[in-house]
Amino acid sequence: MNTHQKHGFWHRYFFSLDHKDIGFQYMLTIFFMVAIGGFFAYVFRMHLAFPDMEVPLFGLVTNTDYNMLITNHGLIMMMWLALGMLLAVAGNYLIPILIGTDDMAFPKLNKLSYWFFLISVILMVTSFFLPKGGVRGGWTMYPPLSVGDFGYNTPYATFSDRFFSSNSFVLLAIVFEFTALLMGGVNFFVTTLNKRAKGMTLMKMPLVVWMINIASVLFMFSVGPLVAGTFMLLLDINVGTGFYDPYRGGDPLLWEHLFWFFGHPEVYVILLPPLGILAEVISVNSRKPLFGYKFILTMTLIAAVLSMMVWAHHQFVSGIDPRAATVFSIFTIIISFPFAGIILAYIATMWYGKLRFNLPMKWAVGSVVLFTLLGGFTGLHLGASVFDIYAHDTSFVVAHFHYTLFPTVIFGSFAGIYYWFNKFSGRELNKTLGNLHFWLTFIFFNGFAFPLFLLGLAGQQRRVANYSQIEFLMQDPLPLYRQIATISAVILILTQFIFLFNFIWSLLKGKKVSTDNPWEANTLEWQTSSPPPHGNFKTYPIVYHGPYEYNIPDRDTDFTPQNEK
Amino acid sequence: MNIFPENASSYGAEIDFIFWLITIVVAVAGVVVLFLVLYPIFNRKKDYTKEQRYLKGDNFKQLRWIYLGIVLLAIADFSFLFKEESTWTKIEETLPNKDLHIAVIGRQWMWEFVYPGPDGKLYTDDDVKAINQLHIPVNATVHMDIQAYDVIHSVFIPNARFKQDALPGRSITRWVKMTKTGEYPLTCAEICGIAHANMKATITVESEEDFNKTIAKLYKE
Repeated sequence: MNTHQKHGFWHRYFFSLDHKDIGFQYMLTIFFMVAIGGFFAYVFRMHLAFPDMEVPLFGLVTNTDYNMLITNHGLIMMMWLALGMLLAVAGNYLIPILIGTDDMAFPKLNKLSYWFFLISVILMVTSFFLPKGGVRGGWTMYPPLSVGDFGYNTPYATFSDRFFSSNSFVLLAIVFEFTALLMGGVNFFVTTLNKRAKGMTLMKMPLVVWMINIASVLFMFSVGPLVAGTFMLLLDINVGTGFYDPYRGGDPLLWEHLFWFFGHPEVYVILLPPLGILAEVISVNSRKPLFGYKFILTMTLIAAVLSMMVWAHHQFVSGIDPRAATVFSIFTIIISFPFAGIILAYIATMWYGKLRFNLPMKWAVGSVVLFTLLGGFTGLHLGASVFDIYAHDTSFVVAHFHYTLFPTVIFGSFAGIYYWFNKFSGRELNKTLGNLHFWLTFIFFNGFAFPLFLLGLAGQQRRVANYSQIEFLMQDPLPLYRQIATISAVILILTQFIFLFNFIWSLLKGKKVSTDNPWEANTLEWQTSSPPPHGNFKTYPIVYHGPYEYNIPDRDTDFTPQNEK
Repeated sequence: MNIFPENASSYGAEIDFIFWLITIVVAVAGVVVLFLVLYPIFNRKKDYTKEQRYLKGDNFKQLRWIYLGIVLLAIADFSFLFKEESTWTKIEETLPNKDLHIAVIGRQWMWEFVYPGPDGKLYTDDDVKAINQLHIPVNATVHMDIQAYDVIHSVFIPNARFKQDALPGRSITRWVKMTKTGEYPLTCAEICGIAHANMKATITVESEEDFNKTIAKLYKE
């Protein structure tokens, strides 16, 4: 084991090879990106509700600004927040410590992966300040629009115009980020397979480790086509190839297939790690074994395989053969079964439990409720290809994916942060501020996203800069819905400052934890000091039990740490 | 209820029906799920024995309720699927005999509509063109060749529950049959650049005679 050394600021935040420090670097970088994405959301939501107003801190929003804001909001939240938070932060911080080892299998590769991630962030942020402004063709970047803005077809554009355009920069940023996550994924997989503590069989691993690994493998399987597609788009923009140009033998539909072949598995890459976090939080706080560990695992693997076969449900009306849509509709409907099983297993875990309805548990339950009731079930609406004819590219879709992603990515991450904060900082978060943060987020998230369902059903299409141009969308009560959504979104964003303050203040000045295992949990990370030393454990732990052995009948305590005989 | 725009096409009601069918079933399921989640939270002080709590869910007997849940969902899902696929086949996979054949062409940022001229055939020299104004006869099956010049657009007629992306380099034929006269909006549903919001047209659904007059007038111009 490494001995614990005190490192300077530069060493800790820039050159550290410790998986905990790298996880923390990722987290800070992602907070920075989220701040940008959140600010963009604030600006365009304000513009939608009050079209003629100068948005405070931004000014008048032109159509170009609007397109740029929604595009970058989507890209940042999907690519940098969701993928980064749940693969990079959760994977880096949790995997080595939950499987009882000192660090990743390849610490230097891990560091390299962070550096690649940082390069991608720099490229992304730089793209806003390039002469022709940020990328603005929608986060899905469908060509020919994403080529045409500055592309080869623009006669006066020189090579440097094209290369130093936001489109090229963002595509490069995506490639760098995916490379970073691939390196991370390889590292997670090798670490999990080779460095587990003695006695920890695969079936004794905490579910979150399984979930992050399955997500990483799913990511590796699906990312290839998109990286290839991204390079083809880069070549279309910079060199003048015609992969997506129908007038030169290409096809814009090709990009849609390559994009969604990655894009739909990505949804599950994002979904699985928070499901793992929920498993930890719900089991610990119900004081019960996780109900159906192997069942959940089987369902996850089935869902992972199915997730590779549903991508074209994003394209029902995009011009694919309508007969193909039937196949994708069937698979889309079938993929709801394993997730229903997983959610029901989590609910079953809570039954007969001695629930501790504390902060991590609130986030977890909130996540399950919102994800199932409004995210999952509206997926059935959209999976039915006939209704998708009407709902495609309307606000209904926007509401649906905010209800799937927000409860998982944001609620799941917060469940994790509130749960593991004691461990990684050695201090406690303020509970009053935590409760305030949870309830405000819960209420105003619904206040923001639910009106979008109604707007979508009224026929409001997405990505329109100014609805006052379209008369039928200005009938009462649609503008009112838009204003409710906007005001809720603004409060939702402001609420996150409560968390930010709580996080920073508690990190520096919070109450020191009185015990290493405040939740009385079984998993290995709670059996070491808080914060864990460099190398995580004083001696390598030996595992005797599964991770969820709560309330074993013939024991005195209601929990049994994995490394206790 | 009035959450959809007024329906004016022959198949719109079937699409609305699918929505309500799914929504009602899902709402019932949602209430059940909500009860299942809230019950243990409100009964968290209740005392159970350790034997009752130590449930691992590792055999079929313990998992039976979950399997039942999945089976119920499967029954519901496949009945949705059965219903919606027959509608899908009717709307998207088959083309009923046409009364009128037009082309709808998206370009940055306007809609161009092409009607057959006096010879009754599309894509001939006497074709009639109109910008952002589409006239179609009521109760007529209209075939639309949906195309785009520059980037991807999407024809969206909320009142007809009609949507189809327009891709450059392709001509995609879909049909619509409007059953009520009146003026309806047609908008673009795929982001297509700066003036995406302004890319809208009006569909006037009118009687056969009025329609013929309109085309004759357009042809003279």
